[in-house]
Amino acid sequence: MKLLIKGGRIINPAENMDMLGDILIENGRITAVGQNLAVQGAEVYDAAGLVVAPGLIDMHVHLREPGLEAKEDVASGTRAAAAGGFTTVACMPNTKPVVDNSILVSGLIQRGQTEGVVNLKVIGALSKGLEAKELAEIGDMIQAGAVAISDDGGYLDNTRLLRTGLEYTSMFGRPVITHSEDEGLAGEGFMHEGAVSAMLGMKGRPAVAEDIAVARDIMLAEYTGASVHIAHVSSKGAVEIIRQAKRRGVKVTAEVTPHHLTLTDDELKSFNTAFKVNPPLRSADHVEALIAGLKDGTIDAIATDHAPHAFEEKDVEFRYAPSGFAGLETALGVVLTGLYHTGKFTLSEIIDKMSYAPAKILGLESGVLKAGAPADITIIDPEYEWTVNCINFYTRGKHSPFESRNLKGKALITIVNGSIIMQNGEVLK
Amino acid sequence: MNKAQVSLRKKDILGLETMSVGEMELVLDTAKEMKNIIDRDIKKAPTLRGKSIINLFFENSTRTRTSFELAGKYLGADVVNISVSSSSVAKGESLRDTLLTVEAMGVDIIVMRHEAEGSAQFAANVVKPVVINAGDGAHEHPTQGLLDMFTIKQYKGKIAGLKVAIIGDILHSRVARSNIWGLLKMGAEVHIAGPQTLLPYGIDKAGVKVHNRIEEALDQADVVNVLRIQRERQQKGLFPSAREYARIFGVNAKRLALAKQDALLMHPGPMNRGLEIAPDIAYGDQSAIQEQVKNGLAVRMALLFLVLMGGTHIETAN
Ligand SMILES: [Zn+2]
Repeated sequence: MKLLIKGGRIINPAENMDMLGDILIENGRITAVGQNLAVQGAEVYDAAGLVVAPGLIDMHVHLREPGLEAKEDVASGTRAAAAGGFTTVACMPNTKPVVDNSILVSGLIQRGQTEGVVNLKVIGALSKGLEAKELAEIGDMIQAGAVAISDDGGYLDNTRLLRTGLEYTSMFGRPVITHSEDEGLAGEGFMHEGAVSAMLGMKGRPAVAEDIAVARDIMLAEYTGASVHIAHVSSKGAVEIIRQAKRRGVKVTAEVTPHHLTLTDDELKSFNTAFKVNPPLRSADHVEALIAGLKDGTIDAIATDHAPHAFEEKDVEFRYAPSGFAGLETALGVVLTGLYHTGKFTLSEIIDKMSYAPAKILGLESGVLKAGAPADITIIDPEYEWTVNCINFYTRGKHSPFESRNLKGKALITIVNGSIIMQNGEVLK
Repeated sequence: MNKAQVSLRKKDILGLETMSVGEMELVLDTAKEMKNIIDRDIKKAPTLRGKSIINLFFENSTRTRTSFELAGKYLGADVVNISVSSSSVAKGESLRDTLLTVEAMGVDIIVMRHEAEGSAQFAANVVKPVVINAGDGAHEHPTQGLLDMFTIKQYKGKIAGLKVAIIGDILHSRVARSNIWGLLKMGAEVHIAGPQTLLPYGIDKAGVKVHNRIEEALDQADVVNVLRIQRERQQKGLFPSAREYARIFGVNAKRLALAKQDALLMHPGPMNRGLEIAPDIAYGDQSAIQEQVKNGLAVRMALLFLVLMGGTHIETAN
């Protein structure tokens, strides 16, 4: 089967390419990228006026399977991904049971193939049962296909174990992804600690709790020579610590979420649990620092931290609500609205952060548009105006801080391994 | 009293942050009329006859609950108290379930006390009856804020331009937050003081003046509002000992003398005499603490009346 995408604006940050042209796909791979490609017997998709990008990659999602399927599973989560323009997602291991052995890694990869509609990459746990006591079988999991190792979902407060985990994981050429927020310092809080929490009377999570943890994780990476990836950076202190570490040559990468780039703790005045997340939404000065850090390359990637919960779980008093919300279906629109249409970022920069950069961090061969690469492609209409309506989400997580917001920019087509799996918002499988 | 020109804008009374100066003045003016009822022999006005009020208390508070109960009864409403122990929460009954159950019983007003910040807002989103916040965590306690303002006005004739010192545990105090919002809007200068560990991080951006030495806050103050110190805070390590607190941060006669000679001494109760406040001044000449209790009743009557009857004149109050 051949598919020819014709006349789109091809943006391929891996090669600094931004041109009008065509892409030919055969048997799940890209076979040609060029101008005026004429192909016999190919199905033609007219992409005139649209942006043709390497498929978006979300390196931080919670698909909740196994064990927490009331919140999400591979089928619903990967459909949400496809609807949002993602062709690959990497899922975190904080499930029930925890993905801390090769059998569960293989099982999930297989579930991805049978139930999923996008490529599913699996992240294995660093410690057995996420208990921060013993290393999980990291090597075995990586050989079974795990792309990274992480105890995300919470802070790994056992510094000795983190050191061992970093050293051990580095033998296999994979990063450790850390959720860096000192829980002893932040743990009682429900939101960012600052002027807003002071007047709401809500216990705060101080930004310095994140700074301390990021500094610790980076110092260990530097000491051991291992690679660390800092998940969902949210504080200005953390941005500066990562910036300095990169200058020194520490093997550190980092990601930021669409919500931390665009929302502040002012939203919490509504006590709407859709805004409850960890790390918390912070004040405007932090948001500015995150945008600057993303712009200058201190922060490498944008990841959603898609963390769906069942509706009733979030429909409670703020302090009792779980943290996190659905992110896959709003991410691109939020980023384009907040970073592209405001003139802060080019399309190429955004596609880099949402595709090529995460591919590099996870060691994937996707994230690029060139002959021989997997035909994972997202076709985007950056001008498409739409209103977020959680009820229509494919994910089971019907809470979003962007509910009812007007966004500009959306994925119109998601192509995974050469097949169109999402068209105009509808997932076809 | 003039026929009120203003009425309350919103269905619910959730906090003073969202209440306008006009609304607060309406409540204070109405409370003045209500206070006359309290002083009568037969304390019963038929104004709210046929209306029902539920005091839904998830936390114990005899003082506030009784005040709301009497306020409703003096105005002729039917009042029911429901204390919800944390056990029903443990059994899995959500706040939404409880609220919907109460709503189904046909009540007009739900007065709610709950340990979680924002729970009153949550309730207002869930049910149609009027929700009055009787304290949501450390967020707000609007009727206490209003009764404190009413008391200040009673003694000082005004609020604008006064120096009000709020002393003690600001961090955990909904009383402090409602006072801060209300007093700042009414034009007072608000000084807060206490150990740094009991002052919320970031409070300096709220328009108040922040001190660690209570002497600075007390200096030339017109009003001194002393907050209750919960002894558990010491166990949590927020200050070293009750003894040290009393010595460094307790309000006593010597310190009160730093304030203006006619300064008003207030406390939301219940007091820890000998900890945050010295016994001799608690019931001394400058103390308005007893009057606050009475005024609390008047303010709550005013609010119940206003939320149910709108901003019209009280025909029954003559
Ligand atoms: Zn995390």
